[in-house]
Formats: sequence, C-alpha cells, structure tokens
Amino acid sequence: MVRIAWRSLISHKLRTILTTLAILLGVAMISGTYVLTDQIDRGFKEIFTDAYKGTDVTITRESPFSGQLTGAAEGLPQDMVDQVRAVDGVAEAFGYVSGMGAVAVDGEVVETGGAPTLFYSYSPTEIAPPQYVEGHPPERPGEVAVIQKLAQDKDLGPGSGITVVTDAGGQEVTVSGVFTFAAQSSLGGSLLIHTTLVDAQQWFDMEGRLSEIDVKAEAGVPAEDLAKRIRAELPANTDVKTGAEAAADQTKALSDAIGTFLRPVLLSFGGIAVLVGAFIIFNAFSMTVVQRRREFAMLRALGASRAQVLWSITGEAFFMGVLASVLGLFAGLGVAAGVNQVFQAAGFDIPRSGLVLQARTVVLALAVGIVVTVLSAVVPAMRATRVPPIAALQEGAELPPSRFSRFMPALAVVVAILGAALIATGMYGPGSTLVRLGTIAFGAVLVFVAVAIASRYFVGPLAAWLGWPLQKVSPVSGRLARDNSRRNPGRTALTAAALMIGLAVVVFVAVLAQGLKSSFIDSYDRTVRGDFVIGSSNFMTIPSDTAARVQAVQGIEAAVSLDAQQVQAGNGSLQVVFGLDATAIRRVWSFDWFSGDDEVLARLGTDGAIVEEQVADALGVERGGTIAVTTAEGRTAELKVLGVYRDPMMLTGITVGSAGYEALFPRPQVLMVVAKAQPGADIASTKRAVETALESTPTAEVQTSEEYKESTVDLVNQLLTMVYGLLALSVIISLFGIVNTLILAVFERTREIGLVRAIGMSRGQVRATVRFESIITSIIGAIMGIVVGVLFAWVVTTRFAGQGITFSVPGVQLVVFLVLAVVVGVIAAILPARRAARIDILQAIHYE
Amino acid sequence: MSDNAESLTVRQGAAAPTTCEAGTTVGLSDAVVEARDVRRDYGQGDALVRALVGVDIDLQRGAFTAIMGPSGSGKSTLMHILAGLDRPTSGTVRIDGQEITTLKERALTQLRRDKVGFIFQTFNLLPTLTAAENIMLPLTIAGRKGDRDWIDELVRTVELGDRLTHKPAELSGGQQQRVAVARALASRPTVLFADEPTGNLDSRTGEEVLRLLRHSREALGQTVVMVTHDAHAATFADRIVFLKDGAIAHDCGRLGRDEIYDVIKSLEDA
Repeated sequence: MVRIAWRSLISHKLRTILTTLAILLGVAMISGTYVLTDQIDRGFKEIFTDAYKGTDVTITRESPFSGQLTGAAEGLPQDMVDQVRAVDGVAEAFGYVSGMGAVAVDGEVVETGGAPTLFYSYSPTEIAPPQYVEGHPPERPGEVAVIQKLAQDKDLGPGSGITVVTDAGGQEVTVSGVFTFAAQSSLGGSLLIHTTLVDAQQWFDMEGRLSEIDVKAEAGVPAEDLAKRIRAELPANTDVKTGAEAAADQTKALSDAIGTFLRPVLLSFGGIAVLVGAFIIFNAFSMTVVQRRREFAMLRALGASRAQVLWSITGEAFFMGVLASVLGLFAGLGVAAGVNQVFQAAGFDIPRSGLVLQARTVVLALAVGIVVTVLSAVVPAMRATRVPPIAALQEGAELPPSRFSRFMPALAVVVAILGAALIATGMYGPGSTLVRLGTIAFGAVLVFVAVAIASRYFVGPLAAWLGWPLQKVSPVSGRLARDNSRRNPGRTALTAAALMIGLAVVVFVAVLAQGLKSSFIDSYDRTVRGDFVIGSSNFMTIPSDTAARVQAVQGIEAAVSLDAQQVQAGNGSLQVVFGLDATAIRRVWSFDWFSGDDEVLARLGTDGAIVEEQVADALGVERGGTIAVTTAEGRTAELKVLGVYRDPMMLTGITVGSAGYEALFPRPQVLMVVAKAQPGADIASTKRAVETALESTPTAEVQTSEEYKESTVDLVNQLLTMVYGLLALSVIISLFGIVNTLILAVFERTREIGLVRAIGMSRGQVRATVRFESIITSIIGAIMGIVVGVLFAWVVTTRFAGQGITFSVPGVQLVVFLVLAVVVGVIAAILPARRAARIDILQAIHYE
Repeated sequence: MSDNAESLTVRQGAAAPTTCEAGTTVGLSDAVVEARDVRRDYGQGDALVRALVGVDIDLQRGAFTAIMGPSGSGKSTLMHILAGLDRPTSGTVRIDGQEITTLKERALTQLRRDKVGFIFQTFNLLPTLTAAENIMLPLTIAGRKGDRDWIDELVRTVELGDRLTHKPAELSGGQQQRVAVARALASRPTVLFADEPTGNLDSRTGEEVLRLLRHSREALGQTVVMVTHDAHAATFADRIVFLKDGAIAHDCGRLGRDEIYDVIKSLEDA
C-alpha cells in the first residue's frame, strides 16, 4: 500500500507539486518567522555581549519601571566614580553620559529608519575601547567621533563639520575620528556618536552627573563578588549588575519585544497561510479521490481492505507532508530574508546575525506540515474507502455520498455559532490578552470553516449571476464556464473559500485601518485648533525652547509645548503624562469634555490632572478621584482628577499643567508644539517663517494641520502595505488552489473539451472557457472574503468604538480587491487553459 | 497500393459479391472527399505500426458510405484522417477541393465549423447543456444564428419533441445519439462522419439512429461516412469499403447482411 501511495505521487507530478506548494508556503512562513526572530535575537545578543565584554560590573540609577518616553534618567553623581574606584577589587572604573538625539549633515537630518541615534561620552579609560579606523576619539568640546556606517554613508572623515541635535538644540561640531563598535560598522539602523563628557553633560542636561559607571575587576576577583561589594557601598537607588547580567537584561528586553510582538504577528500570518493550504489539500484530495474511484474499486476488488485504501491515501498525504515540510523549512530561510526586506522597505532596519536554524524550528516545521497535510486528507480518504469494489466494473460509477452530507447545513450552522461564541468570549470575556486573542482567532477559523461548508449552497446561484455578463460577452465560453463552475458546487466553494480566507483578513485590516484614519482625522479636527504642528522628524523629542522660538515668529498668535513622559500608575499599568501650559493651551486646543469644562484648566496647579476617558476607565477613576503615579526616577505623586475628556488619538493619557509636570519630572521632554497663526496671517508664509526660526534644529519638522494629518495617515498606510505584503502569501497559496482545481477539472473534462473542439471550438474559445471559470471562482472567493472581512471588522470596531476606531468601509479599496481577485483568476487560469487548449481531439474523444 | 490490395482479394477465400471491386474506385465525378496514397505510421523503430499503408479513395457527394474491417484494419484511422482529426504521415486529403492535411490549427477549426460534422460512439453530449442547446452548440460556437427552419426540421426529424429541454442525463442512449445526429447536422456540414454510432446502443435504438442517418442522406442529400463493424448497420449504406491491414480490400456497392458476412469471412480467411 505504501508503494501504491508513493507511485501515485510520482505519476501525478504536477498535482503533487501544486498540492505540496500549498502547504509548503505556510510551513515556510512559520519556519521563516522562527529563523528571522532567532537571527534578530542573536544579533542583539551579540551586540550587547560585545558591548559589555570586559565590563565586570555596571552601575546605573535604579528605575522603578522601564518603558518608552521615560526621558533621561536623573543619573548618578559624577563623584560616585571615585567612590567605586575605592572599592576593594576594582581595577578600573569610568563613567559616561548617554542620550538620544539626531545628526544632521549639510542641514539634512540623517534618516535612521526609526532606529535611535545614540550619543555616548568617550572616556580615555574605557574598558573595551571601540576600534578607531580613522582619526582619534573626541578630545576637546566640539569634537565628536562617528560610527563607520555614518562616515561611509555621508562621506565623513576627520575634519568634517556636522550638526548634532539634542534636547539642547542644534550644535555645530567637528568630526575627530571614525570607529567601529563591537566589530560592527553599524548597529542595525542605529547610529553611534562619541562625544566628550563635558559636551554630553551639557547637551543632555546632566551637569555633574553620569548615566552609567562601568567597572573592571582586578584579576582573580569574580564579577559577582565585586558587584556585591560595590552594592554595599552605594546608595539604595543605584542598580549594580555584573556585565553579563546587564548584557542579558538588555538582550531580554529586546527579545521580549520580539517574542511578544514580532513573532506572534508573523506566526499568525503563517497560520493563515497554513489554514489556506489545509483547505487546498482537503479540496485536492477530495477531487482526486473522485477521479480515482475506479482505481480504489479495483484495489478493493483485488482484495484490499477499506483500511488499506485509507492507509494508501493518508500515506500519500504523509509523503506529501514530509516533502512540503522539508522544502518549506528551507524555503523558510528565503522567507526570513524576504520578511526582513519587507521591514526594511517599510523603514525598520533590524540587526540580525547569520543563519540560525534551531532544532525547535525544524521540529515545528515538520510537525505542522505533516500533521496539517495528513489531517486534511483524512476525510477525503474515508470517502474513498466507501467505493464498492463493483465500481471497478462500472462506467462512470459515482462516489457514494458521504453519510454526513445531509447534516452539512446543520453542521455549518453549529460551527458558525460556535465560532461566533468564541469570538464573543474572546472580546468580552476574561483572561489574558494572549488567551483572548487566541480564542478570537480560533473562533475566526471556525467561522471560515462554516462559511466554506455553507458556501456550497450559494455558490451555484452566485456563479449563475456572475457568469451572466460573461455569457453576454462570449455566448459559448461564458455559458460553459458558468455551467462548469456550478457543476461541483462543493469544489468551487472550497476553492473559493481558500481565497476567501486571505482576502477576508486583508479586508478586515483595510477596514480597521480606514476606521483608524478617519477617526484620527475626525478627532484631530475636533480638538486641535492650531494651524501648525511642530514635531520631530525622527520619532524623538524636540528641543525644549522650540515653543518659545516659534512664539517669537511674526504672525504666530500662540505656540504651546506638549510634553510627554511615561509613569507607572497605581495599578501597575504604564501611562503617559502630558504636560502643557494650561492657560495658553485653550488658544490651540479644545478639549472634548466628558465631565468638567475649560474652567478646570485654570485650577490644575501642581497636583491637578485631567484624564482621557479610556484611561480613566482603565484606572477606574472619575472626576473627583485620585491617581497615584511613579516616575522612572522614582518620584511619586497623588494627582487629583478634575475632569475627564475624550481624545482617543492624541492626548490619550493623564494631562497636567506646567507646574504639575515640573513637580514630577526634572526636565521637559517636548513631544510636539502646537502653534496657531494670527487671524488673517498667510499660512504658507508663516510656515516658512517658523521653519526659518527653527533652522538650527533640523530635527524639528513644521507641518500644517493638513500635512500633519496626511503624514499620520501615511504612517498607517505604510503599516498597511507591510501587512498586505505578508498576506500576499496566503493569496498566492489560494491561487495555487485555483490552478489545481482547474487542472483537475480540465483533466476530468478531457472528453468534453475534445468534443467541443471537434465541433468547431477554437483553442482561444477553450482557453476563454477555463479563464472565465477561474474568474468566476476567484470573484466568488473575493465576495465571500469581503463580506466576512467587513463583518469581522464591524464586530471589532463595535467592541472598541470607545478606543477611537470607527467603522468605515473603504469602498474604493474593496473594488480594488475585487479587481485583484479577477487578476488572480486570470493568472491562475494560464496553465490550465493552456493544457485544455492543447488537448488532442482524437485522444480526447476516445478517452474514458 | 494496388498490388497489395490485389493479393487480398476474395478469390482466395469465399466468393465476394459481384458488385465489389478489388481495390477502390477513384476519379469519380462529383467527389466531395478525395484521398490519395494516405499512409499513417505510429511509433518508430521496432515499435513502428503501419496503420494505413497507402489508401486511395473518393467519396461521392450525397452518398452514404460505410467503412468496415476487422479490429486494427485502420478503419478508424482512415476516418479520422478524412475528417481532419488526424494527419497522415504522407498523402493528401481534399474536402470540397480543399487540401486539409496541411491546414494550420485555425483553418482546421474553421473546417470543423463549416464542412465537417461528427457523431461519436459515446454520444459525447455536454452534460450541462439541454438537448436543444447541445443541438445548437456548433452554431453557437461558430457565433452563427443558423437557419431556424432547418433547425426546426431537424428537431422534427429526430423526434425528440418535449425532451428538448432535458439534460443528457435525463435522456435514453438512443435519444442522446439522436441529439448527437441533429447536432452534427445543424451546421449542414459537407460531410457527416459517424464513428460506430450504434456501438453503445441496443439494436432497436440503434436502428432508429441508422434510419435517421439514412433519412438525412435521402431527404436532405447529406454525405455520410460511417465507420462500423456491425453488418446490419452497413446495410444502410450505399457503398461499403472494406479495409484490411491498412489498405482497402474491397469496395462494394449496397450489400445485404449475408453478403457482408461473406466478405468479412473472406477477409478473415485470407
């Protein structure tokens, strides 16, 4: 039986290839995800391990939590270095100041694709000094050294003049040297700049303080022991770690980010691809079992048991699964490279090491590929066992209908209800986010299955309706295609369902994105009264004097800074605290009050706050309540809630007045400046004037309200493009499904095709028939996908309406998807149509 | 090849009817199909099979010709070549004076639309179309309206009546084959080729189909070429051509069933 299964695979090469490809691509996506994320993991690990090589102990200021937008920590006093040096067993200790900013060459900010530009003060006593390939480290204030990648990209060398931009504004400096870091010429997309300690302290507002102290132990002193000794000497608010711990902690922070975001996201795209593949395998086996019924009957007539027939077919599936998994595993390496390309194209440059193929990846890829393939083939294989031996002798024996066929409609309803229930549980029920998302995903899969089962009942009418215009265009080909697609509604339904899955997710994402965009614009228009938004071009902050400089520009009525930093709220969640001038803000901002009114702004004082509705909900407070917050530096405050406002897009957090902000945070951290032009001032020329005023800070980007909205919408679109790129795989797999179905259909109809050719049908007409059938199938898939996708999006937006995503259907895009489906149909038909047109008439009419 | 044909003549076995010629008659006036020295080889080297070793035949317009012969005699091959479904290894075939063995794909398609009609042993109706739609199919394919009166007459002739709107699966074998005959006649082909048209039918329904073919020749003046190994079917023909080993053994006029058996027997004995 095993040999029969093997021979069957060999003798139907094309069928085997197409079916294998369907599962191969999904497996490739999954193994590719693991390969890529492992590579990134190791890439970071290598960087941090190298960075802490030779460093036995590191000392930093303790922070109660870590997160983004936390600003530079208060740091350590500079004289702590001497204190550390005095500890027994310390061979060397040095401190440095680090911070983030930007670099501009010839007035142009150097783009880093979202990665940070990091500044470090250079110390002559550095433990693992970077390798200088040109010039020397910065010695005098006004000198900096740059990482090799920047030097190469911008053609810099010792003596070149560049601008560094930090919270203190832009500074003209001279390049003193070029270095490589940890044997890398660049760190992903990040840029490294060395400065003198004095400059760094001034630029990052760290006079007399240090960001970190690194220690080298004397020979024979274990790092752990030394860390313990140093810890005993230093105040409680310092964090003393061994170099290995520090490297591991930093790696872990990034790995966690990958593990909790990148990997699940990529895996879910892989999962979708595998699901589509499973549909195609199920369909392919269902079709071939029907075609090969006489072969099975013959085997049975020769004495094969039903179990043997079952084993023969599942054996075939097993071989196919093994083949697909092994090839998929290797194709995964290509996928890893491809996904990385997608990220880079979208502006996310991630460091990664060479090939990493862990045993876990191999096992998982094989398991997924084999299990999914075999499971998908079991039901068709069971049907094959029901072929009676007598069928071998009968012409055109039909496969007995499945025992369960009459329960199909009921099954579809049950599965649909179950799916809907799971989705509802996931959205409204308890549990961790991961469990809930998993529940929703499983519910969605069940809904897909239900739609696929149910679709066989409406595919007929739908095909008739879709085929009607084709028949008008081409009476014969259109008519035959229309009839053919209705002949095996179950088959057409399954083929279309495979396309449905990919498209439903595409549509779902498109509708959500549309909702996000339109509610962002809506929210912006409702709250922002200013004409300009000045933000940073590299996702960083802008100098704190920006508002003052903009205010001074002729034609500007008001310019208000919006500061932002993260805090930990009483319930442990991280929230953003916005700081603003409560008096001036009313000229550029209008709060959408839920409770309270503009009058409360004047009463914010040092401990008053107003809270966004969603955040208030999450924290369980309302007007009159209090919120306990802790800053990254460990300062705490009890904020009195004076009002609640609705702003799901911009100031989604806790808003305090300038006095309150200063009480919490030692320094400003400007997220953006909102400015309003004087009545009657020309927007375009005022914008130019603001730009001129900010010329020395090239990172400050001046945008009119329209431009700001546009660029935000662009950002969403960019993300959308990335998601589409990842979903394209599923659509391609479903394309293989259509090809497979058509080839089998053409094969089945060899005689009919021979006949119509014999009575005068041209090859072109035969090709058109196949093409039309393909288009009908793909449009059915697209329609189902659009309906299901829009439905999913509607459900989700209804649930999350408060969080600012409205339900908004992108009509034009849906039409584009429909056109895309037609294109998929046309492409899928190329090969089968050619086969059909090449059928030899003579052989065909004698063909059984 | 005349000498080859000579050696296969009936004189060596049972007596052939006097109406039969050894070899075949060519150079007929009003020939609608003219085949000259048609040879067809399959395979090569040791596996070479000579299906036709040199056939010359003319088919008269308006005649009902049957091609007979034992299995492997080349009768089907000959018909396929005459109909333009297969190309000879060498030799020429003209239909209505047009050389068809060198036609390109497009011209062959046109030939099938205009000049040739087919009836197959296994009916070969499109299962998704109704009887009426199957009949109209060649015209629809060619994008023609067709002659309404002619179609009506055909439909009357094949006596399908109320079953016209039925799908093939709902028709009996005889009804299906009558639909196939009507379909083949719908475009008024120059020649109607029938490949074992009664092969899958019982004798009664087979008889109906044969009468229909005969009727098309009598009433409509249709040229018909039929390959068969059924002696009874051949009695409906004006002319019976016997093939053996890829060549024409006998070319006879109208024969009765017993006479046909005699010829067949003489071929088998030879």
